[in-house]
Amino acid sequence: MNSEKQHHGFSKKVMVLAVLAAFNPAYGAEGDDIAQLTKPESSAGIGLSYASGNSNEKSIFGQYNGMRHGNYYGQLDIDAVKRDDATGTWTILTGRNLGLDDRDLSFSQQKQGDWKYYAEYSQLSRYYPRTINTGMLGAGSTNPTVVLLLAPGTGTELNLATKREGVGLGMEKWLTPSLQFEANIKNEDKEGARLFGKGFACSAAWVTAGVCSASTTQWALLMLPEPINSNIRQLEAKLNFSRDKLLLTGGYYGSFYTNAYGNLTPNVPGTLNNPLGTPTVLDAGLRNTLGLPMALPPDNQAHQLYLDGNYAFTPKTRMTFKYAYTHATQTDNFLGNGLTGAPAGKADYGGVVDTTLLQLGLTTHPMQKLSVLANLRYENRKDKTPQALYSVDGTEVFANSKYSLKKIAGKLEGSYQLPDNYRATLGTDYEMLDRGDFSSPGCGAIDPITGECTGSSIAGVTAVRAKTEEIGWRAELQRSISETLTGSVSYASSRRDGASNWLKPNSLPATGTTELSDTQIYNRTGIFPMIFENRIRDKVKLMADWSATERLSLQFIVEDAQDSYGAPTQKGLRDSGSLLYSIDAALTLSEAWKLTGYWSQGDQDIRVAHSTGYDAVLRNLNTTLGIGVAGKLSGRLAVGADLSYLNDSTKYNETLDGSASAANKTFLAQQGGLPEVSYDEFRLKLFGKYALEKNADLRVDLVHFRARLDEWTWGYGGTPFTYSDNTIVSFDPKQHVTYVAATYIYKWR
Amino acid sequence: MKFLRQVVVLCAFIGGLGGISIALAADLPTLGEEKEPSAGLAAKDLVLKGDAKCTRCHDETDSPKLLSIGKTKHGTTADGRTPTCTSCHGNSETHMVNVTAGQVQPKPERMFTKNSTTPIEARNDACLTCHDKDSKRSHWMGSTHQSREVACTSCHQIHTAHDKVRDKITQPEVCFTCHKEQRAQINRPSHHPIPEGKMACSDCHNPHGSVGPKLMKRDSVNDTCYTCHMEKRGPFVHTHEPVAEDCSNCHNPHGTTAESMLKMRPPFLCHQCHTPHGGQVAQIAGQHQSSALLSATTSGKSGINYTMARGCLNCHTQVHGTNNPSTTNPTPQFNFR
Repeated sequence: MNSEKQHHGFSKKVMVLAVLAAFNPAYGAEGDDIAQLTKPESSAGIGLSYASGNSNEKSIFGQYNGMRHGNYYGQLDIDAVKRDDATGTWTILTGRNLGLDDRDLSFSQQKQGDWKYYAEYSQLSRYYPRTINTGMLGAGSTNPTVVLLLAPGTGTELNLATKREGVGLGMEKWLTPSLQFEANIKNEDKEGARLFGKGFACSAAWVTAGVCSASTTQWALLMLPEPINSNIRQLEAKLNFSRDKLLLTGGYYGSFYTNAYGNLTPNVPGTLNNPLGTPTVLDAGLRNTLGLPMALPPDNQAHQLYLDGNYAFTPKTRMTFKYAYTHATQTDNFLGNGLTGAPAGKADYGGVVDTTLLQLGLTTHPMQKLSVLANLRYENRKDKTPQALYSVDGTEVFANSKYSLKKIAGKLEGSYQLPDNYRATLGTDYEMLDRGDFSSPGCGAIDPITGECTGSSIAGVTAVRAKTEEIGWRAELQRSISETLTGSVSYASSRRDGASNWLKPNSLPATGTTELSDTQIYNRTGIFPMIFENRIRDKVKLMADWSATERLSLQFIVEDAQDSYGAPTQKGLRDSGSLLYSIDAALTLSEAWKLTGYWSQGDQDIRVAHSTGYDAVLRNLNTTLGIGVAGKLSGRLAVGADLSYLNDSTKYNETLDGSASAANKTFLAQQGGLPEVSYDEFRLKLFGKYALEKNADLRVDLVHFRARLDEWTWGYGGTPFTYSDNTIVSFDPKQHVTYVAATYIYKWR
Repeated sequence: MKFLRQVVVLCAFIGGLGGISIALAADLPTLGEEKEPSAGLAAKDLVLKGDAKCTRCHDETDSPKLLSIGKTKHGTTADGRTPTCTSCHGNSETHMVNVTAGQVQPKPERMFTKNSTTPIEARNDACLTCHDKDSKRSHWMGSTHQSREVACTSCHQIHTAHDKVRDKITQPEVCFTCHKEQRAQINRPSHHPIPEGKMACSDCHNPHGSVGPKLMKRDSVNDTCYTCHMEKRGPFVHTHEPVAEDCSNCHNPHGTTAESMLKMRPPFLCHQCHTPHGGQVAQIAGQHQSSALLSATTSGKSGINYTMARGCLNCHTQVHGTNNPSTTNPTPQFNFR
């Protein structure tokens, strides 16, 4: 509010009316000036837009906005709002991007404080930004046929896309002043295909197992689009009770996934390329393996009952709580999905996961200057799926991988108002994860009574941990230095350690695990997954918010975070770091003009050591910059401009240790490792809105988009990554798009 | 079934359109129609019940524009619960006193501007007096935003029909006022459709407090992701444990340069937990490998095959888990099929 003019008996209403009259005398004549300022406004826009370039030239720009294909698009938006002032009933119709295939449409009616209902429709298409060149027949179906092309690039172009189409319905009703019922259902269909694939190498082990014949060098990689035709339904109904000190909600949330497709089974030709691109007759075992069905995601469902809310013991002491019980199942029929070879008597997985969640929180002010909060969260996810021997590998057998997880998290925090406008906060956090006994996948036999493995094991890693425990503390000091300057500094540190010994899988065919200490299990090249490793985490953050003048405000942020990992090995994830600087500025040039700007610089690194003698140090540097200006050139013409720039680059530094092979040493010496990957994006948005009449505007938008992606994911230096059937994937690394739109906007009340 | 549903929905919208058209048409001024006389300039209520106390001095030329509150839910006077100016700003008796030239007008009891001296808690109490009965805000107390003293008005604009943070398209810029790192991430080539206005921060986060970590809308990170990606939920015959534990072990949902919003591209992402198939350093086609690294008999587990394209996922495709029950070799426990 403008305090300079707050004197009784004087109103600027007259001046407002004068301004309105000058803009359009009809306002005054109509006498509806107050209504114009206080009644909800509706608008509808219709127009035409153009985006330059073909589909490859705007694959980033058009990834989600419905403009990947074509050049001309219809613009249709509506925002119709009607309020019946006598009853307080709102009627709202909103439509966005109705002329594009990422449209939204919703309709709702609401009598405030009494009832509400709504219906909404949403469509979203996502176009995979890369273009595939392949000879495949039936790509995107569940039974595609792989065709070996004579040479890369001689096939047909394939652009993958997925389309989501959702409908939502909901209602709310206040049954009494303290009891409200809410219900909603959302149904979403998803169709299309996304990049997927299959690969297999005939190693010596597979030859021994009889999967392949004597050849140990045969392998193939195939690009196979994953066919998608699925549905997600979510239903929620709840009763909210509120009275004085208590807010209590009891509800049901059901979620259901249905997949029309059960498996993806390719037809594989007898000849595919070898590593040098020479057509080679496939080993019969390899061909058979590549043609085996791949399971597609199974139908699954979950039902949750919950009770949550809060209670105020006193005006200054409040408790929050939630209890939820979720019963999730997955019983999709194997044969119905075209998946054969299940263990005897197993028609479906019989998956059952029950999760119990309990949360309690307390906030209080024991003293006027002190606030305290405490929170405890307990989550127990119990995988109750019966076990069976799903895999038989010679004399070795494997059970399904049940995965239970118990998580306890808590925090305690106190904040105290100190003299001189200082505010200090101290807090501690605790988190414990208990993954049980990892009863999978190695398994000697199934107990006929309990249905559990008599021996349990894991495979593929050196060891796992059942329990990890993390304890952290943090401190923050905040100060309002003056009415125009506030600042804060915070530091947080946490330590994650194993709350139990390592569990080492016994060598197959023996099953089960053996518990070993760090010293006992030490293995210089061992593999200890990062979620089980010890971790030291430190984070510092500085913030300052400064209103330098009445018109200029500035914000500064510096953030530094470091993680250091530890396990009885010298390999795997070792450490990571992140540094961020950011400055934001907002300048009010005049009543009509505003200028904003920001600059951010990020620097992240991570070091991962491979077991066979090389370390990878990845460093990501990113700079973002934005400048915006908006204002009015006249009473009728509003204009604005936004410019944003992003530069993101990742360096892949690889170093070798003494155990590296001679070939690797020579290769790195000659090639220097992996090239840098960088992404630059420049976007300029301009708009102008001209008031044609009191109730009609003309809006013109202009966007110029430039992006450049230098990477080697699918090719480097003109040499593409080539699948075994000569399928290649390409991408236009330099993309320029100019977008222009003109929209006529009609407004009414 | 799908067609039937679409027909039902379409009918509902047409019905709705019909309804709104009639309703809106009734509200449109017609040529020659006499309008009710406008409110006079006398000190009477203009927009809210009992606002005359304030509107005799304040109006649309203030910042924020005062009368625009009439366009909002707060301005629905037929709803007996809606506030008047003093409900939020306090009775402000000292502010009502005339001052002589040169004196500073005392401010209202509660001010919501950025540099206001009104304590944040007092500002938020003005909102929570009514809005603490909403189940979506049941866990506001103790939430990160509450304990970090974020004011409701830091994000919400009360005196305008278009509250930026309640609009999918403009909401992220409000959140980015504090969350700078995410601002930098959403424009990377692999991102959720946030810059395109199809998703907003509040599709995944409940800024008013939740039971989940990071103010997740559902009870956990995974439960939130499953609302759109339910095919990843399983449970599967062969599970990939870090996937079942937390999607954010591998993905950065705010955007990445690596495909599929992966925090790092494979193989480096996978090497955090697995380092098999060693032998060769990461390589890419076109780097002129010697015959020791690339020949007609090079293994499929070559440095190129686990680095380029989908990296490790070229073979271990079912990285989210597979429901293939086959007990015959090659058995699917390594997520081959």
